[in-house]
Amino acid sequence: MHLRRRQLAGLLLAAPVIGAGLAEAQDDEALAYYRQAKIDWQQAKGQSLTIGLNKHPFTESLLPLIPEFRKLTGINVEYLILPEAEYFTKLVADLSQQRGEFSVIMTGPVRNWQYVTPGWILPLDDFLNNPKLTDKSWYKLDDFYPALIAANRWNGKTGGGIGEGPIYSIPVLEESYILSYRKDIFDQYNIKVPTTLEEMAEAARLVKKNAGIPGIVARGTPSVASMGTGFMSGLKSYTDDQWSEFDGKLNANFHDPRSVKYTEAWINMVRESGPPNWANMQWYDAMEAFTAGQAGMIVDADFFAANYEDPKKSKVAGKVGYALIPAGPGGKPYSGLWTWALGISKATKNKEAAWLFAQWATAPRTLLNATVGYRNYNPSRKSVTDDPRVQEIMGSWGGGSYLKTVAKNLETAKVIWTPQPERTRMGDVWARALHEIYFQRMSAADALKKASMETDKVLKEAGIK
Amino acid sequence: MSTTRKRRHWRRERLLPYLLLAPALVLLAGMVYPFLLGLYYSFTSYWLQYPNRFRFVWLDNYLSLIEEPLFARALEFTLGFTLAAVVIQVGLGLAVALFLHARIPGRAAIRALMLLPLMIPPVITALMWKIMMGSTNAGILNYLLSFLGVDPVNWFGSTQGAIVSVLIIDTWGNLPFVSLILLGGLQALPTEPYEAARVDGAGPIDILRYVTLPLLSPFIVLVVLFRTMDSLRIFDVIYATTLGGPNDATTNLHIMAYQYSFQWYQMGKGMAQAIVLLILVVIISYLLMRLWNRASESTA
Repeated sequence: MHLRRRQLAGLLLAAPVIGAGLAEAQDDEALAYYRQAKIDWQQAKGQSLTIGLNKHPFTESLLPLIPEFRKLTGINVEYLILPEAEYFTKLVADLSQQRGEFSVIMTGPVRNWQYVTPGWILPLDDFLNNPKLTDKSWYKLDDFYPALIAANRWNGKTGGGIGEGPIYSIPVLEESYILSYRKDIFDQYNIKVPTTLEEMAEAARLVKKNAGIPGIVARGTPSVASMGTGFMSGLKSYTDDQWSEFDGKLNANFHDPRSVKYTEAWINMVRESGPPNWANMQWYDAMEAFTAGQAGMIVDADFFAANYEDPKKSKVAGKVGYALIPAGPGGKPYSGLWTWALGISKATKNKEAAWLFAQWATAPRTLLNATVGYRNYNPSRKSVTDDPRVQEIMGSWGGGSYLKTVAKNLETAKVIWTPQPERTRMGDVWARALHEIYFQRMSAADALKKASMETDKVLKEAGIK
Repeated sequence: MSTTRKRRHWRRERLLPYLLLAPALVLLAGMVYPFLLGLYYSFTSYWLQYPNRFRFVWLDNYLSLIEEPLFARALEFTLGFTLAAVVIQVGLGLAVALFLHARIPGRAAIRALMLLPLMIPPVITALMWKIMMGSTNAGILNYLLSFLGVDPVNWFGSTQGAIVSVLIIDTWGNLPFVSLILLGGLQALPTEPYEAARVDGAGPIDILRYVTLPLLSPFIVLVVLFRTMDSLRIFDVIYATTLGGPNDATTNLHIMAYQYSFQWYQMGKGMAQAIVLLILVVIISYLLMRLWNRASESTA
């Protein structure tokens, strides 16, 4: 007995050592993966970086891995995490004064337009093409979905040029917009999955009438954040991609008759069948409402499915169907596209170190870990989507309809905003017009005309027009 | 005493006050510098993302406010909200103070509990209420109201609802402050006028009207002053619940200045709006201070 107890004590004492040994072995295994790249990871040893991060699942996935990066490169990494609105304000303050507080930043296509015009962020092609800094065959840039890489390229010309010119940030996730609906309710009351806006309004009405919950839920706060996802993707699809928020001469085009017609029908649908507090709903309110079983449909980010299908949080797990956005006469959806992505500030002193970090953080293994370990959806790399573990999770959503819908959507999805640095302001102006219509203070034609005029005024003031 | 020693002594005498004042002067500089910088920016075209276009524009930012339709609405809401908030909060606060002043059992415990809202940061208060104020019966407040036969209230989804909701939240957070100051005032009042009034046969209403309120007036003016200043520049509760919406119904000058400065990065314009708000606060506070001086003199 005595002996046994001593043995036990010995074992207990040894446990942390064995554990540490195991962890070390795992570390070594992980580092060995990165060391396969034919570059010297230690070339910027001793330098320091500060990473600007938005609070996000991707960020959650990155933090526990940072010690591994330190070990691999000898680069000292610090970071600042802020909620989205504060993050972008702080970022613009840092970039505009070229203080270089942030070396690597979380950004994305439409944001880049704001930062490229005054020359605040670096094109990344030189890093990608420098064999001293990047082992192309190991990094596999081709593994990213082409549409996502194209979204992060811009030739710097206001009014166009997406997909051309330098790449300014490397995507860490993909977000496009689809229709998620309550398959159980649709089946029970024999409601047709809508393929046009009119059918969607009818389906919303029927859900509300039969199931007693709002037929559709959507973002509605008076902010640009309410515009670029379901609403604008729907408008693009409704007009077969023939409408854009500007005409050829960069005059705002919200009051185009097709846009007026769509907006009227859309607002009517939300007013009649939507939740009473639509005008105060942020993206997470809308997502939570759908997750809590409080809505029949939502047209928004595809990856919200990770939330809907999480049985721990969701009341609708396994009850959701996924379909493409209702389209126009041409029958094709034209969804918007957004990617969170990593870019590099021009003012940073340690550019090579910053690139090593961006490369490491967007390497196949790192992004796979972000998705498998931390639900960072949807993957920006094909290899991550194709991984059996990811296929097993995402493949089950919507009885398999999720992956098919997203793949089909990505055939036509693209960045739907027109490149210009005042997109945020313009979107805020546009969202306010929707409130004027919703609260019946103005007709759709008048409110949208006013929004166009206000946008033109801002662009003139900013010297863009 | 030698002349050198005398001189040293004299120098120390002269320097000492400045040395003692130094911390206060540093603090003052820390307050004045950002203010002056903000004032300077309000006369420029400072726009964060176009640093090359920075120039001095004199009064352009102020003049452009006249053409800005949102400014008139924001000004109207700023003043309207302040009036409503002050009247409701001081009125209710007085009632609560009178109630707590009466000898009721357990009033010490009630007073302690009353402090609770004061200890919660306004943003937390706002978010707490936002959750309770769900627009359907899923919101706890509407659920409770349903027992009284009240239909679900559309708290934040309608323009009037949003204004009322913000008022309720702000009142909940600030009522204890008002009540405690007034209660302190009530407890400090002399007893003689009350005895005299009772001898003259005055009833409770008469005593309240002719004795308590006049004697309490310096305290009332004081809380009106504090609550007016705070209500004019309220930000956190509105930003955390409505962002100034819906349909700009809860956009006050502070929210508007924030939008221009930190959403659209037009620092020059944002600062001009903030300075207009400051001028408004200073003028109204000055008038209230004069009222307070008069009230204190007349009761002294």
